[in-house]
Amino acid sequence: MKWVVFFAATVVSLTLSGLTGTGALAQSSGPLRIEITEGVVEPLPFAVPDFIPNGSAAGEYSRNLSRVIAADLSGTGLFREVPASAHISKVTDFNAPIKFADWKAINTQALITGSVSVSGGNATVQFRVWDVFSGQELGNGLQFAGPVEGWRRMAHKVADEVYSRITGESPYFDSRVVFVSESGPKNDRRKRLAIMDYDGANLQYLTDSAAIVLAPRFSPTGDRVLYTSYESGFPRIYVLDIGKVTRRVLESTDGIMSFAPRFSPDGKTVVFSLSQGGNTDLYSMNVNSGSKKRLTQTPSIETAPSYSPDGRQIVFESDRSGTQQLYIMPSSGGEARRISFGEGRYGTPVWSPRGDLIAFTKQAGGRFHIGVMKTDGSEERLLTASFLDESPTWSPNGRVIMFSRETQGAQGRSSLYSVDITGRNLRPVRTPDGGSDPSWSPLQR
Amino acid sequence: MDTGTKISGIAHVGLIGAALFGGAFTSAPPPVEVQDVSVVTAEQFAALLEAQEPPETATEPEAPTPPQTEDETPGVTPPTPEPEVDLTAPEATDAPETEEVPETLPDPLPPQPETEAVDTAPSIEPPQELDTPLPPAATARPEPRPAERIAPQPVAAPPPDTRIDDAPTPDTSPDPGAQTPEEQEEATAQEEVTDRIAPETAESDSLAPAASIRPPSSRPRAPTRTAEPETDNTRDAVNAALEEALGGTDTPDPTPVPTGPPLTSGEKSDLILAVSNCWNVGSLSTEALNTTVIVGVKMTEDAKPIASSIRLISSFGGSEAAANQAFQAARRAILRCGARGYALPVEKYGQWRDIEMTFNPERMRIR
Repeated sequence: MKWVVFFAATVVSLTLSGLTGTGALAQSSGPLRIEITEGVVEPLPFAVPDFIPNGSAAGEYSRNLSRVIAADLSGTGLFREVPASAHISKVTDFNAPIKFADWKAINTQALITGSVSVSGGNATVQFRVWDVFSGQELGNGLQFAGPVEGWRRMAHKVADEVYSRITGESPYFDSRVVFVSESGPKNDRRKRLAIMDYDGANLQYLTDSAAIVLAPRFSPTGDRVLYTSYESGFPRIYVLDIGKVTRRVLESTDGIMSFAPRFSPDGKTVVFSLSQGGNTDLYSMNVNSGSKKRLTQTPSIETAPSYSPDGRQIVFESDRSGTQQLYIMPSSGGEARRISFGEGRYGTPVWSPRGDLIAFTKQAGGRFHIGVMKTDGSEERLLTASFLDESPTWSPNGRVIMFSRETQGAQGRSSLYSVDITGRNLRPVRTPDGGSDPSWSPLQR
Repeated sequence: MDTGTKISGIAHVGLIGAALFGGAFTSAPPPVEVQDVSVVTAEQFAALLEAQEPPETATEPEAPTPPQTEDETPGVTPPTPEPEVDLTAPEATDAPETEEVPETLPDPLPPQPETEAVDTAPSIEPPQELDTPLPPAATARPEPRPAERIAPQPVAAPPPDTRIDDAPTPDTSPDPGAQTPEEQEEATAQEEVTDRIAPETAESDSLAPAASIRPPSSRPRAPTRTAEPETDNTRDAVNAALEEALGGTDTPDPTPVPTGPPLTSGEKSDLILAVSNCWNVGSLSTEALNTTVIVGVKMTEDAKPIASSIRLISSFGGSEAAANQAFQAARRAILRCGARGYALPVEKYGQWRDIEMTFNPERMRIR
């Protein structure tokens, strides 16, 4: 009986509340909440009209600046330029309001406007970045000034700023790459050190091709380069001052081969391999005093060392387990921990500037791969596959990897490629000749 | 051979002969249609064909004329620019003015049919008397007392029965801040004697100060609050606030909106899908891809997001900079795909006027 009464009371209550419009179902308690877990991965459309020239002297840089900026952004694979032929409105005044509707109509999501003025051999570049759909400026307007012959660097810096403001990544366009320039057939290949902007521009040779050179490595400040040369008949490590193009031997012991050098993050120490009596071990050397310290002491081959960004650990390759694998040990030496356990052979590990990943070369199934893994060896991902991919190097922001790829056959050519750590956007790096062993500089100051 | 046999033989021979030669076994041929055909040679046929005029062939269709175009130059024509817009920097958008919609009251309920109370019992016609006498009734039934069968007014529903809650009610604890009435204690005489003898304590000879000397406070005294004279305005405001709090005001809600029932899962899915199509994480940093942001947005009645209302409510999983990048991508997604309005039922505007969207890039991370 009680249940019958309760049911009747509930029915009456619901009926009355429904009539008065105050039912529980009709009440909106707070905002509507939804969760978006799936999105799209596609390049962000942007537009960069020619920069407005202030004066006739700036005319020739107006278009050049915008073209370099557009190439930088498009080259990341994260952006897609809306061509000028599709632009509806023209930007004729740097300080004029933006007609956002015109840019929305062509689905431009980011707009870069700028101006350039030249006076007395110096150029001044101003720019702004706009979020078209929100009608707001991303950050504040910025201005760069410098010698007019450095206009490419200024363009790279503008692109860096735009890239960082939109993606949140740290920049990398204003950087350089040192590599081994290769020419001639495989059986008579001439090698010399070369340096260029990250995009292949402003190439300069640092050595001649009289002796074989290998594995150049930038210093943390980008002003020096370590490399290995067979100039004396034995492989020896040299350090080269880029600004002065002067060099000195870092390690010279007769009858001992030294190679695979790399600077520590503070630039005070160099870790390298030293082969003596058929055994190869890792050593570290103080750059100023020249004092050496042996880090490994095993009958196996230990080589290709690379410091962690904090300088506390070293990742290297070793065949102590019977096959070539990757190991991590303290930078002062000590017990090493194996981190690679996949099939095949692992080599040339390089620690990411962010510290979270290690890039490596993997040989498995008759093919070479460039891959990345976490520092504990987990989450291994292979980014490339070809006849021969090797020598990975990280961009300053740890987002892109450059490496060398060699094609098959006697006329095979070695050239440089870059790939995003997502595995997307694999693209060749423009060099006049072939290239191998790239090393990416830190961001220029 | 007797005569009969001879006669029979002669008759049979005659019959057979008549059948054979009389045409009894020949059937008439079926009729054949005959048509006269004149034979002509090939030369004659050719001559005949030449002599005839060629039949009129179907007229060939005229070559189609190309449609006239306004611009003969090939290439991409720029889209028609939109009318000039206000180029001034967007100011903080005020809340959209809502038109005063007269409160739509529910239609009055149809009056319940009044039930007529019958005071007298309906009269029943007496049955016709039968010729055959019926047996006498056992007992004489009393006449029904006239009474109201149905009340003219509905009776209020009885109060719901008290339901015993499954969960026990926690013990109440006294609120420390609550004022408890003090029990009145009857005054009693002061006890002048005790059961213990307390020795008299000698007065201390120490002249040490009880407290260290401190510099006089230089802080000014707090101004004393003076009671403001109660004005009519204050009184009116208080009364208005009280009325509003008590719900006694009769002024309608200035912005009534249709609330409707909650959005169905299909309607929610459509909204999620629409925003997802514009949520581009391709240009986000790896750290921003590890950052979940909750974004609040207010919608217009035509289901368009109000740009100035889009705000970051909270974020987790990344730094502040990464959260900002993730928020920007989310804002672009909301604005881009909402430029023409989302497919939301207008009759449920109250349900989606404020939306909180959680952008969780867990499935979109770099793996």
